Amino acid sequence: MSKMITVGIADMKFTRNEGVLITYALGSCVGVCLYDPIIKLAAMVHVMLPSRLEGSSDKNIYKYANTGIPSTLKKMEVFGAVRNRVTAKIAGGAKMFEILGNNSLGNIGMRNVESVKQVLKSEGIPIIKEDVGGNYARTLLFDSSNGNGIIRLCGRKEIPF
Amino acid sequence: MKKRIDNYEEINGYAMDMFKEIGSIGTGNAATALSGTLSSKISMSLPEVDIMDYDQAIDFLGGPEKVIAAVLVHMTGQFSGIMLYLLDFDFMNFVLEKLNLKKINSYDDIDEMSKSAICEVSNIIISSYANAISQLSGISINLSVPAIALNMLGGIMSVPMIEYGYVTDKIMMVGGKLMYSNEEMTSNLLMLPDIKSLNFLFKKLGVFYE
Repeated sequence: MSKMITVGIADMKFTRNEGVLITYALGSCVGVCLYDPIIKLAAMVHVMLPSRLEGSSDKNIYKYANTGIPSTLKKMEVFGAVRNRVTAKIAGGAKMFEILGNNSLGNIGMRNVESVKQVLKSEGIPIIKEDVGGNYARTLLFDSSNGNGIIRLCGRKEIPF
Repeated sequence: MKKRIDNYEEINGYAMDMFKEIGSIGTGNAATALSGTLSSKISMSLPEVDIMDYDQAIDFLGGPEKVIAAVLVHMTGQFSGIMLYLLDFDFMNFVLEKLNLKKINSYDDIDEMSKSAICEVSNIIISSYANAISQLSGISINLSVPAIALNMLGGIMSVPMIEYGYVTDKIMMVGGKLMYSNEEMTSNLLMLPDIKSLNFLFKKLGVFYE
């Protein structure tokens, strides 16, 4: 494999032509891979929360789906991507603990996924592949040379994504 | 003089000492309770209390892809937040052995019975720390039913991370060593009271900020 680029928590990285973007152990967070196949430009965002609150002082825009994805697209366009060529793959949004009773913590993974989908829809980016939900963590790899992804689970084989 | 804090970073001086005290009392309680449950003499080292970044904490605990067992309990009532107890592999096997259950070779071959046992023992430890807070401050804390997960550390840590994502990027970790005869095992507890509860606790205990 060519050079690995680690995407941290609430972080975004992109690479062109060659390089593999990797984010480790996505739990309830969602990994969003954006790809323009013509210029081989790949970006990955590690989204942690559905939306940034109004008037929030948090400077990290990549933490939230509603700010992270649009600004990543903008950055990709600066590097020559054309919006109607860009496709998305999303993974994550698991429910790690089976918590009894009613609380918001239990379904935050699904809320993240819904928010990501909504943002992508309003930006006009089609989702070509998704692997979301479940109760396990995923490590997500995304290759910029061909737009192929890999998902790694604990104690199981790697699956192409 | 500032009388309340807005995030974990501001915990220092007296407040930090107070958490160390809670940590010590909790650890004492936990060692006693654990010794009783497992009918073996277990001692614990004096805990270290740290405020860390998530990335830092994950690296400290062995990296995002390390598989780990974790038990999560919600605190509600006058004091709310979450507690997450992390057990490493050796400690898990030690508990299983002491309870006359089958030892495991990997996280995959654990059965429901053993899982439930691990969950219960962790619940006892978590309760010991919650009791320490209650004892010191007179605040009553309700604990939820514990939930267990065996998975990659990064994924498990994303749960508290997200719960407090809007408030802070830090966590509070009470780390210590468990000792049984000459064996040493690691145990880590993440205590994540919400900011409102923290301020309430400080007020009760008379800790003020400068």
